[in-house]
Formats: sequence, C-alpha cells, structure tokens
Amino acid sequence: MKKTFRTLLSLGMAALMLQGCGSQNKADVAFVPKYDKESEFSLTVAGYYGNFESLESEFERFYEYYPNASLQYVTMDDYNNVISSALVNSEPPDIFTTNSWMIGNEAYDDMFNACEVLSDSSVGIDYSCISESLIRTTDSGDVVMIPIFATSFGMLVNLDIFEKEGLKVPTDFGELMDVCAKLKSAGYESPMMGADRFSGSGLFNCFAYPMYAYNVKNNIDKIDAINNFEPGSGEFMRPSLERLNELINSGCIDLAKCQEEITDEYDSVIMRFFEGDVPMMFATGDVVSGTAKRESKSDAFSAHPFKYRFYAAPSADDGGFFINSTSICFSVNKNSRNIDMANEFMRFLINRKELGNMAALKRLIPPVDDLSVDEIYSELSKMPADRCFSDKETGLLDPAVRQFRAAIYAVGNGTMTVDEAVAAYGNIPEE
Amino acid sequence: MKRKLIIITNLLIMGSIMLFIIRYANIKATESYSNEIAAFEKLTITINQIIANYLEDEQHLCDLWANYINRSAQEGSPMTSEEAINYIRKAKISPEIEGHLVFLDTPERNGLSTGADASDHGVYTVSYKNVKIFDNIEGVSDENDVVGLTRAYTNPMNGVQSIAFVNNVTVLDTQSNEQKSALLMRVVPLSRLDQKLVFLKGGYENVEISLVDNEGNYVVRGKSFKNSNFFEYYKSYNAASAEQYGQVISEIAGGTGTITIKNVKGEDCVLSYTPLKIMTTWFLLAYIPEKDLVASRSIDWLLLGIASIGFIFLLIFNSIVMMIYNRKLSEAAMQANQANEAKSYFLSTMSHDIRTPMNAILGLNEMVLRESGDDNIRRYSESIRTAGSTLLGIINDILDFSKIEAGKMEIINVDYSFASLLNDLVNMVQKKAEDKGLAFNLDIDRTIPVLLNGDEIRIKQVIINILSNAVKYTRQGQITFSVHAHKTEDKPDSVVLRVSVADTGIGIKPEDIDRLFVAFERIDEKKNRNIEGTGLGMTIVQRFLDMMGSHLEVESKYGEGSVFSFELEQKVVKWDPIGDVEEAFRRSLSIRSNYHEKFTAPDARVLVVDDTPVNLTVFVNLLKQTQLKIDTAESGDEGIALFSANHYDVIFLDHMMPDKDGIETLREMKNMTGTPNTGTPVICLTANAISGMREMYTNAGFDDYLTKPIDAERLEMMLQQYLPEDKVVTSQETDETDDYVLPQFLSDLKEIDIDSGLNYCGDGESYIMALEMYRESAEKKAEEIEKYWAARDIKNTTIKVHSLKSTLRAIGAPELGEFAARLEKTGNDGDMETLDKELDKLLSRYRQLARDLEPLNGDDAYEKDL
Repeated sequence: MKKTFRTLLSLGMAALMLQGCGSQNKADVAFVPKYDKESEFSLTVAGYYGNFESLESEFERFYEYYPNASLQYVTMDDYNNVISSALVNSEPPDIFTTNSWMIGNEAYDDMFNACEVLSDSSVGIDYSCISESLIRTTDSGDVVMIPIFATSFGMLVNLDIFEKEGLKVPTDFGELMDVCAKLKSAGYESPMMGADRFSGSGLFNCFAYPMYAYNVKNNIDKIDAINNFEPGSGEFMRPSLERLNELINSGCIDLAKCQEEITDEYDSVIMRFFEGDVPMMFATGDVVSGTAKRESKSDAFSAHPFKYRFYAAPSADDGGFFINSTSICFSVNKNSRNIDMANEFMRFLINRKELGNMAALKRLIPPVDDLSVDEIYSELSKMPADRCFSDKETGLLDPAVRQFRAAIYAVGNGTMTVDEAVAAYGNIPEE
Repeated sequence: MKRKLIIITNLLIMGSIMLFIIRYANIKATESYSNEIAAFEKLTITINQIIANYLEDEQHLCDLWANYINRSAQEGSPMTSEEAINYIRKAKISPEIEGHLVFLDTPERNGLSTGADASDHGVYTVSYKNVKIFDNIEGVSDENDVVGLTRAYTNPMNGVQSIAFVNNVTVLDTQSNEQKSALLMRVVPLSRLDQKLVFLKGGYENVEISLVDNEGNYVVRGKSFKNSNFFEYYKSYNAASAEQYGQVISEIAGGTGTITIKNVKGEDCVLSYTPLKIMTTWFLLAYIPEKDLVASRSIDWLLLGIASIGFIFLLIFNSIVMMIYNRKLSEAAMQANQANEAKSYFLSTMSHDIRTPMNAILGLNEMVLRESGDDNIRRYSESIRTAGSTLLGIINDILDFSKIEAGKMEIINVDYSFASLLNDLVNMVQKKAEDKGLAFNLDIDRTIPVLLNGDEIRIKQVIINILSNAVKYTRQGQITFSVHAHKTEDKPDSVVLRVSVADTGIGIKPEDIDRLFVAFERIDEKKNRNIEGTGLGMTIVQRFLDMMGSHLEVESKYGEGSVFSFELEQKVVKWDPIGDVEEAFRRSLSIRSNYHEKFTAPDARVLVVDDTPVNLTVFVNLLKQTQLKIDTAESGDEGIALFSANHYDVIFLDHMMPDKDGIETLREMKNMTGTPNTGTPVICLTANAISGMREMYTNAGFDDYLTKPIDAERLEMMLQQYLPEDKVVTSQETDETDDYVLPQFLSDLKEIDIDSGLNYCGDGESYIMALEMYRESAEKKAEEIEKYWAARDIKNTTIKVHSLKSTLRAIGAPELGEFAARLEKTGNDGDMETLDKELDKLLSRYRQLARDLEPLNGDDAYEKDL
C-alpha cells in the first residue's frame, strides 16, 4: 500500500517536474467504440519482443469494449528481415512494430508501403498526445508509425552502494572520476560496467551517444554533411570520442571484466547488475524495462534487494543529457483483412492513459508529451530543460548513427584511435 | 434459561443439519467437479491422440520425400539440391506447405525453398541464420515415422508462423561433386494445426487448446494465454513461490493431469495437460474457465437456502407453540403457588386458631390438676394434659413444615446451656418412656462444654422428635440416649456433638428407610396405625439438620431396633465440662413434685388484655397462688382505659385482637403521657410461633413475648423476671413440710433405708409412688431378666440389671442396689459364671422386697394428710 502510494506520489511529482521537457498538456478524450460492440474479429500484432505483457493487458482492456474480439501478439523470428515478407503473405499481421531508424532505410520501403497512413483524417486516430519530437514521418510527410514507448541512454545506479560508501551519484564528468576513484579504493574492481556491444544498448553508446547527439543538435546546420558522411564531418564525433577514451583510460570501467561477465546486451546486463556489486551499469531504457520481471529471478537480488535508479550518464564537464528516443512504434498493415478494427485498436491505444498503462507495466518511458514516468526514471526529471532533447531534434539518420556506434566501438575497444575514427567517418567497419 | 437452552439446542440442531447439507452439497459438488475434471481430462487425451495422428501423418509425408531423395543417393545417382527441391515442389499438393532443404553446416544455414521469398518473387534461397530452431529438435533421425519437429517459428521465406517436420537427406554438392547431408523440412503453417484444434472442443464452448514445447514456448496459443511462454504466463498471473513454480513446471512436464490456475482476470481456470503421444517435448494444454465446469453447484445453494428458510419457519412456529404452552404453564404454576400460599396461610391460621382454644383447654386443665384432690379426676386431667401436649406437638409439626415449605424457617443461633437443653429433653421423654415400661438410658459425655452457641429450640425439637419416635415405636426394652463431643482441628472454637438415640423398637425395613424422610409418609402404616403422628417428624428433623449443616443417619434392623444419629457442629462459648449430668437428672427426677408456686407477690398488680374471656380466666387461675392482683380487659380500648387509670407492674397484651390489636394498643399506650405506667414492661401474648418473633415484637415496642398455650412455669419465671424485686417473695421449697406419713411397716423392712429413699425422691408422696411403681413392675422386670438370661443374652441381661440397680437406689434399697451394681459390672466383664451363680440371689431378694411392699397396695396408710 505504502509502496503504491510512494510510486503514485513520485509519478505525480515527476510529471510536474518534467513539464519543462514537454510542451502540450491536452486533456484526454475517453475512447468511444466506433463499431458494433458485438463485432467478432481477430487481430494479430507482430513484433520482436519475446514477451509483450503490457500490450496483452491492453488487449484485455480492449475486450471490455469489444468482448468478441480476439487479439494476439506474435513474436516473429528474425523480425527485421522477415516483416516485409510477412506483410505480403497469406497470413499477414494486422499491426506490427516498427522502429524510427527504419525510416529512410530502403530495406523497409516495401514495409512502409504496406503501412496505413495514420495521419489520414479518415483513419480517425488522434495522436496529439504523442510528443511531437518523437513522431517521424515519411518523405511525403505521412505518419505511418506511432511511437508506443520511448527510451533513453544512461546508467542504472545501485543507490545502496553509494549510501554505504557515503557518496553522491555523480552529475558531471569530474564527479564521476572522483567517485570512481573512491569506489575503486573501496574495493570495487570496476565501478562502471556495461555490455561491450555494437548495438545501441552497448556501454559506449549509453555513455557517449547523448553527448554526441547534443553536439549535433547544436550544429544542426551541419546535419546534412553529417548524414552524408562529408569529409570533416567526423570531427563532430571528436569530443564524445575523446571523453570516451578518457573514461576507458581512467580505470573506471574494466572492459575485460565486462566482456567476460556480460554476455548479452539485455538479460546479462540486468542479472549482472542484480548481483549487487556494480555501482553503475550502463543501460538503455529498454534494458531497464526488463528489471522488474528479473528481480525475482535473481537469487542475489532476492536475498539482498537494493534500491536502484536510472540516471543520465555524466559524460560532459557540466553534466549529462537526457535524450528522449523512440523505443518502438506501431504501424498498421493497410492490407489487413480487419483494417477497420486494426485502426480501431490503434485509436483505443493511442491515448495518454493507455500508453501510460503500458509504459508503467513495461517500465519504459511513455511517448507522450507530458512525461508520467516510472519511479525508476525519477532522476531524469531533475535534468535541466536545455539538456533534454529528442533524437529527432538531432536530425541524425540511421546510417550516421551506425557510423558513430562503429566509431565508439572501435575507440572503446582500442582498435582505432580517436583520430583514426574521426578520419574514417563514413567508412568505419560496422558489425 | 430453559427457553434459551431450548432455542440454543434448536439452533444447534438446525446448524448441524445445515452443516450436513453444506458438507453433503460440497461432497456432491466435489464429486461432480471431479467427474467434470475427469471428462475434461479425457477430452484432452482424445485431442492429444488426434493431434498425434495429424503430426504423424505430416511426418510421414516428410519421410516419403526424404526416402525418395535418399533412395536416389543410395542408388548412386544422388539428387542435387535443386532436383530435390523440384521433386518436392511437384510432390507437395498444398500450396501453403513448403519444402526447405537446408545445409546446417554452412555459416548462413541456408538452402533452397520450394516457395519464393514473398517480398522478392525471384528468390528461392532460404537462410535460417537468425532463426534458432535447430538446437533442440526432437526425433531427427533416419528412421521413418519418427516425428522430428521444430518449435513454432517464423518461416523466413514468407513470415508465416509455421512448424517444420524434418528428416535427413543426402544430396549431391554440385561444386564439390560429393554427396552432402542436408536437412529436409516440411514447413506447415501453424494455422493448419490451429484449424484442426477448432473442431476439437467437444461439448465445451470455451475450451482453448494450446500446444507448448518443453520450455513452455507456445506452438499454438489459446486466446486467454498471454506472453510468449506458458510458464512465464503462469508466473505472471499466479502468485506462486519459486518452489510452487518449479513444481507446476515439473508436473506439466511429468505427465497427464489437471491443475487450477488463474487467468489474467484473476479467475480460476482449469488446465488439463498431457504430453503429445509421439514426442516428449510438446505438451497439449486444454484450458477452460472453472465456472464452466461447476455451474451445477448453484442448485445446491438453492437447496440450502430453501432448507434454511424452512428451518427458520420451523423455529418460529416452535417458538410460538412453546410460548403458548409456557404461558399456560406459568398460569398453572401461578395458580399452584396461589394454592400453596393459601395452604400455608390456612395452616398458619389454623395453627393460630387451634392454639388459642388449646390455651384454654390446657390452662384450665392445669387448674384442675392443681386444685382437684380426687385422684381419678387428676388422672383424667393428666390424660388431658398428655393428649393436649400431643395435639400441640402435631400442630407445631404442621406449622413448622408449612414454614419450611414456604422457606420461612430460619435458624437463629443463641448462646445456650447444654445441660439445660439435656434437662428439658430428659424431662420431656423420660417419663413417657418409663410410662411404657421402657428403660431410658443416658450416656452423656462429661466433657461437653457447658455453654454452646446454636439454635437451641431447633436442636431440642430434633432430638425430641427422635426420642419421641423411639418411645412411640418401642414396645419393650430400652432407649439409650447418647451425646458425645469431640473437637475439630480446623475449628478450634467449635465442638462436634454426636447425638445418638438407640432403641429396641420395631425397627425399619431397609426398603422403607428412604420413605422415613418423605412428608406425611408413615412406615408400616397397617402395623402402626394405633401410633399417633402426622408423618412429618422425621421430615422436619432432616430439614432442620440440613439447615444446620448436618444430616440424620439411620441404622436399623427390622424387628430388633434402630439407631438414629447425627453430628452437629456448635460454637463453644464456655469450655467448662458439664460433668455427671446423669446423676443430676436422677436426682431431679426423684424430686419431681406437684405444682408449687415459685413466688408470691401480693402487692404487685398485673394487667392482662385478651379478647378471649376463657384465656383471661386461665391466665388469672394459673397465677392464683401467687396472690397477684390481676386486672383483665377484653379489648385494646378497655386495656388502655385501665392503663391510664391504674399503675401496673407488668402488662400482658394479646397480639391478635379484633378492632385494635396488641401492637396498635401498645403504640397508643406508649404515646400516652402522664399515665402511672411509664416504664412498665409490656409482654406480648401470642399464638404465633414463628421464627424472628422476638425481633418482631421487640421492634414493635414489647419488652418480651409469651407463646400460647401459656406454660404456667414459664409464665411465673417471666413474672419473677419483670416484677419489682421488692414486691416478690420467693417460695422456699425446702421449707415445705412433707404432707405424707410413711407407713410404719417400711421401717421394719431390712432392705429399705427410708432416709435414702426420701433423699432420692424428695418427699414422702413421691417416695411412696416410687415404691408402688417398684412393687407393680418388679415381677415383670424380674421375668424379663430371667428371660434374657435363659437366652444367655448377657448384654440385655446386664442392661436390665443396670436398670434394677437404679430403681433399687431410688427406692432406698442401697444394699440391694450395690448387689445389682456388682452384677452389672460382672455382666459388663462377660463373667457368665458369676452371673449364673448370683443372678438368682439378686432376683430372689428383689422379688422378696416387692412382696414385702405388698401392704402398699390398697392400703390407706399413706393417705395425704390434708
């Protein structure tokens, strides 16, 4: 009871404090079914999440309006490669998950061609509750994907360790160095850990990408050059690469230990963090979303539970950055045999309340403009408004993002120097 | 209390029946539920069989493809992968089904598909690089009809959720021109399996069939299941500990069974599970909401509800009936109480009304006894006194019993002299016993304290009742009255008296002993019809003893005698022992004499007020010899008039008078001023013998009270107490002159010592009477002794000799008395020989003395000298 109350209070306070990061606060309009409540229909939602309990709970809520409906979530193997084929086969999904990075990628042109234009007024979906900075459009300006969850980059912090050692969670790079030194002297071999992976959830990306994105955002006039890998545009990576190099060389993080003990970028990250001896673990919001369910799976955490929160990584001299990034979006298959009901479900789902419910269950950040976040993200509310931005504001396209990841992966692991990475921008080998 | 008990009992019975119904309904519901579960489980097994058949069929078709391809290789002309795929393309009938030939040893795990890539129609190559389904395939072998099946996965060629039946094949690698192993997959869309399951619901509308692999991943998922994994689903929606979770997993993986789980809405659901027959890694789950299986239970609740209402109606009906009966019973009880009260009132009134004329009868009779010189008249009068006393006793018994029944009897403890109590008892009983020729023996403990605290009147009443009974029911022999005392350790200020009355009477049959204490019951009525009594005596005794914390014990042998005894604890006021009271009684008995006034008071003046003139006559006559001046008044007003006119030393006021009763009269007298009677004691005369009387009359202002019929001796004693000392002259008995002239022949009798006799008997008349009594009874007593001795009954012989000894001493025959005393001791010592020798001598002298006294018979020699 107390915990629930604390959570609600915290959510409320977080919502108030995060107003600086949003712009609108439109009142919700209650969902009114458009079709006969007795309609019998089936819908399939396809995605790559192994489990999608938060969505399934929405199915149950949707059944309250359409009790004869049958909705099913299907996990597809090799999703990114298969989804395009799935949309044209004899049993296509009605709704499917998409990612913002897919926009602009030719491999997904067919997929986007199969998407219902959700911004079409005849569809009747009001997505005004979604943070505008998270909505991506096609070249023609159509909205074919609507964000369902948002995420961010940062680190999970074991607050009990900080309390035990009498330390404050660092808010800028200088403090980070100082804290790491103290933690090391207190016996923590690697005060920071994370997955040494190429992907967005990798430790280098969690540390350096927000700093890089902030730099790009502040040089938005150079965005085309950056996206087109024009010579010299790699220089925009330099500050973040050098800071990464500095971190690696400081001894705050033992890469060998990370490679050995953290074998994937999701499960392993969480389970290693729950061992209780890692003060700071680099992670994304997507990783954080798996923590609640895994608390009980960890014997160490069950035996010695501790308090933890998600913080922005303090990469810059004057602090860290909160980058609000789209986690996943939903698109509707325009060829769906139940297109009307698929759109009806979207109409039901794209609502501050339902998206908030889903985010709370999934422990992710809702994509709405006024953030009602889980308690675990409460520290993000303390970020100054000028250091909060969305990845859309950077204008970075997926290829450019991937080159940055390749650069930090190479620099972080010592296969390239900062100069080499900056010089090779556009041609850095990717995974 | 009783009504509550009945209602509680009713409720308990109803509750028990309800519990039984609930239990029975539950048992039946459980049975029904078990049957439903069994039927549901049976359905699961049937579905299992159908699915197994389908999977085996599909596997068989896959095997046919593989056999054909492998036969080519075995015959030395292996097919290339393209040829094999072409063959399958031709062999397969359904367009939905694809054949994949995959080389697992290549990094991309690629191969060929019969169907083109859905998004790129010219492409037939397939890659399983990112589809991890080959790690745990069960049953992949070269044997036919062994199902080798993948988990449900997404067909990389078209994105359709599918399962694949697999077998190994050998094909020709065109690059190396060598034979190469590949995996042949018959890829079947899951929807085909799904469609089959739709028709397997049996009679259950809401049943959902799911298939899961051994890790819990869904192959086919029912609508109500969530997550991608059944075990995850179970954990998410069922509050289970890690241990329970592990148990459920092992149960489902362990065989066929049924469990209850919660669905996403928290509702109870039944899940039946069984492993697919043809493989051990897939399990079939049949799910149904529990309410669909237990719908019939509501009927039992209906039954229960009807039964409850029925019981409540029954309870109300019973309560009403019970209430009506109770009201009637209350009315009957009230009437009975009223009747009982009327009876008590009647008894009380009757007692009072009878006692009043009894006062006249006994009082006037007393006058006759005092004043008549005619022996016959005196004898008649004595008989009247005896009969009157008996009648008074009966009235007292009835009155006492009615008071006990009404709960109005109280025990009032006072300090009393035990010797005085004994004296009264002996005086009352001894004469009656001797009149019947019975020996009355006393056995009194000399150590009994002289002054005790207890209800003297009730104790006396108890013992008199017992002694009177003993006298009444003993024809011959003796009565022994014993009182002994012993101290109790825990109460140092008390003593326990053991009172015992033994008789040689008719005895009581064992079966009659209990009837002894039933009111108005008379034992052996036929035999004892001539014995007077109400049948209340022993009942009253027992009640009184009960009130005093004791009880009566009875030992009896029919025809031989009885012993009645009881123990009574009494507080001791003075521990001095009473001493040899037996001797004192003998003395007092011997000096019993006719009436003599205790005092004279010629100067004293007394007023007596009574509405019954005869009572006034009795009162005046009873005090005639005291020479008192007595004024009488027949009403309260008349009394008041005299009161105001004259000075009186004592005033007697009757309580119950018409117009103005004694209390009202007294109140008026007390309120009067200037009368010559300030401070004159006023004594109440009353026929009401009830407990608390003293308090009642004292509170009313009387100085004392006197019960009617008036006991002359008590009246004189009371006057002695209240009259001014200077007006009372006490009579000196010792100064009295013996009026009797003893016959001369007595002086000549050798055995007789006249002085000793007179000393015992008090005066000449008594002495002569004692001698006469001796003479009359001597022969009879001698014969009794001889009879006992002839029967060698040494005990009774000794007792009789003891009696003889006492008599001889009383008549002044000390020598012969000593002889008898010696023989008594001999008898007590059991010396038969000496007794045999000496008894005849004693009896001979005893008879001789009686013969020597023969002149007393009819002789006028001792006439009273008037």
